[in-house]
This record gives sequence, structure tokens and C-alpha cells, in this order.
Amino acid sequence: MGGMHGFGPVIRSSGDRALDEPTFHEPWEGRAFGLMIATVAKGLRSGSLRPSIEEIEPATYLASGYYERWARAVEAQLVAGGCLTSAEIDRRAATVGDAPTRSQASDPELSTEIPAFLNGPVPTSGEPVTAAFRVGDSVTVRRMAPVGHHRCPRYLRGATGTVERVNGGWPHPGADAPEAVYRVRFAMHDLWGDDAEPGALFIDLWERYLS
Amino acid sequence: MSEGHDGDHRERGHHPAPPTPIERRVTAIESLLVEKGLLTSDVVDAVVETYERNVGPLNGARVVARAWVDGAYRARLLDDATQAIGELGFGGAEGEHLVVLENTPTIHNVVVCTLCSCYPWPVLGLPPGWYKSFAYRSRMVREPRAVLAEFGTTLADDVEVRVWDSSADVRYMVLPLRPDGSDGMAEDKLVALVTRDHMIGVVR
Repeated sequence: MGGMHGFGPVIRSSGDRALDEPTFHEPWEGRAFGLMIATVAKGLRSGSLRPSIEEIEPATYLASGYYERWARAVEAQLVAGGCLTSAEIDRRAATVGDAPTRSQASDPELSTEIPAFLNGPVPTSGEPVTAAFRVGDSVTVRRMAPVGHHRCPRYLRGATGTVERVNGGWPHPGADAPEAVYRVRFAMHDLWGDDAEPGALFIDLWERYLS
Repeated sequence: MSEGHDGDHRERGHHPAPPTPIERRVTAIESLLVEKGLLTSDVVDAVVETYERNVGPLNGARVVARAWVDGAYRARLLDDATQAIGELGFGGAEGEHLVVLENTPTIHNVVVCTLCSCYPWPVLGLPPGWYKSFAYRSRMVREPRAVLAEFGTTLADDVEVRVWDSSADVRYMVLPLRPDGSDGMAEDKLVALVTRDHMIGVVR
């Protein structure tokens, strides 16, 4: 999305300035989010939702709400993993009445573990790895057009910035071995040209994106 | 256009709106998983309750207030935020590697995720609708001062704006400036001065 034009002002719903905006605007959003986490906790699917979200056809992506995109991605992964078929979801959805009710069941052991599963102190992540660049190095983001999930925004490609920090190593999406990730600083002018605002942009980039 | 926050607040109660296609579909998926014995609904309940009741920006506000009153904690927070935030009992999903960005009189930090909606869940909870909107995601990197102005935040020309595009595994939170006039306030009173918007950086 970075740098795309035409989306207008940032609209906030009422109460957004306070701490009390509802976490979920509709109950089904909470169920969709809960399913996203619970299906991982139960081992029904693994890995990031992002690749499946990005496989949503672009016009559908833009026309869908946030949790709708998540729900579509969860569905795609459950179907791909053999837990459900699209046909049976179609049939079941057609029988949902005007006041949706869902089947319920209980697993007290797992449900009581969920808060700690989601929120508890963890060791700092990131692996020590060999890094090709050092703090202060000038780096240029490669020109590329990769297919599939990656984490290099289009608006950076070809731009030159400065390594501010070597964060450590994490596996690139789709890879197993950790790879160096760098915090890179770009001057706004080098990203957007003569009418850029002053200031700087910081972003974390995997080594494979840089030269 | 449909985007960040999902759907309108439809009328419930006496004249409930019929469920939307996506609401039917989510209900169907959960019910099928439960009926097949693959999942139990109380696990989904537990996830929803965790973020509705326990994990939200109050966690981050506690971190900020502690940093304002305790210089040694502040130093640890800026050096290794994951560890320092863990001292207060917070961490986990979407907070495995936290970095805290310190605002100063001449630096203002603001966080966005242009690729999706990366956000430090353990300290801020789940992101508000506008953070996930196409408008915020597209514009904050391109014209941050213009977007900040829409939040009522106008910065002096000598303040450097630093935009942080969350793109990899690090999650960012802003440590705002301690407000003028808050000298001598107790830590629990300071917590109430800190909003989610301060910690994203859309207000100063």
C-alpha cells in the first residue's frame, strides 16, 4: 500500500481517541480472529496467514473488510490442509439462519492455556547470523518483482539508504534458515522525490533484498 | 469502500439485520470444525476474551509510565524492550521482538505497516480500524505530516519525523515525551495520561 494515492483521509470511528474502541466491531470478527489463533493452537494449520491473504484476487482484496480477508485466508488454509472442503462450507453457510448459532464444545485444558499462549514474557527472538553489511553501509534495495509472499514494499525498490542496525537473523518467509535482517534508514527525498516531506523512513529488510 | 474496520454497526435487538455472507461463512467454518471434533468453541472464546479484556493499550501505558519514573528501567527498555517489557509480565504473540522508539524534543516517531497490519499486540492489543485502513497504510509513509495533522498533531519545523514501516519480525512502540506539568505525579496517575495513539505516534 505504501505510497499509493487516492484512499482519502484517515477515518476514525467515534471514541477512537480513547482507549475504549471495541476490540471487535462485530461478534463475527472476534470469531474469525479467534479461529485464526485457535486453528494454530490445535495444529490444524501452520505458518503465517499472510501468503494466503496476498493470494486473494486484488479486486476482492480491496473490496473486502479486514477480518473478512483473514477469514478467507483461514478458510483457504483449512481447505488446503484437508480439514474442510469448500463445498461443505458452502452447504453449512446456506443453513445458517437469520440469528446465527454455532456448534459449541469445551476443552477446558487448552482454553485455560490460551492466555499464556498469547501473552507472557518470551525470550528475545532473532538468531546470531553472518551479516554481509555493517552499520553505516550504504545499501540499495534490489529491483525485483518476486512472485509470492515477501516483505519488501514496492515503494523502496531501487532506493538507497543506510544500515542503522543489524537486528539479527530470522528466516525469510518460506525459508527455514535465519538470514540477516537490517534496519535501514532512507531519507524521504530519496523515496519520493522533490515534493517529499522532510524526515526519514526506517524499515527492516532481509539481506536478500539489498545490494 | 470497505476496509479497515469491518462493516457498519448494524442494528441489533428488535430488528436484527440478517447475517452477511462472511458472517454466515465464519459461523459455518467454526461449527464444522466443532462438529468434526477438530476444535472446541471455548478455545475460540478464550482468544476473544484475552484481547477484549486483558491485552490492550493499558499494558503499554504501564510500560511508558514506568519508564517515565524509573531511569534505570527506561535505559533497559530502550536497550532491550522485549526483556524490559517482559519484566512487567507482557510478551508473546506479535511481541517476540519489541523495540521502543524514544521521542525527544527534536525527534517524533510514528509507526505504520504498509504491507499488512503488524502491531505490538502484547503492549497495545489489536490494532484500531484506522491503523489497518488503506488510507493510513498508503499515506503515512508518503506524507506523514499531512496524516499527523488529521490526528490534530502539528509538529514544529525543527522536529524530525521518523516513520517506521513494520515489515519484518520486530514490532515497534513509541515512548512519548512525558507531559509538561506531570512532575511529581505518581506512576499510576501517569498511566492514565498515556493513550494508544501516543504509543503508535499519531499524537505527540
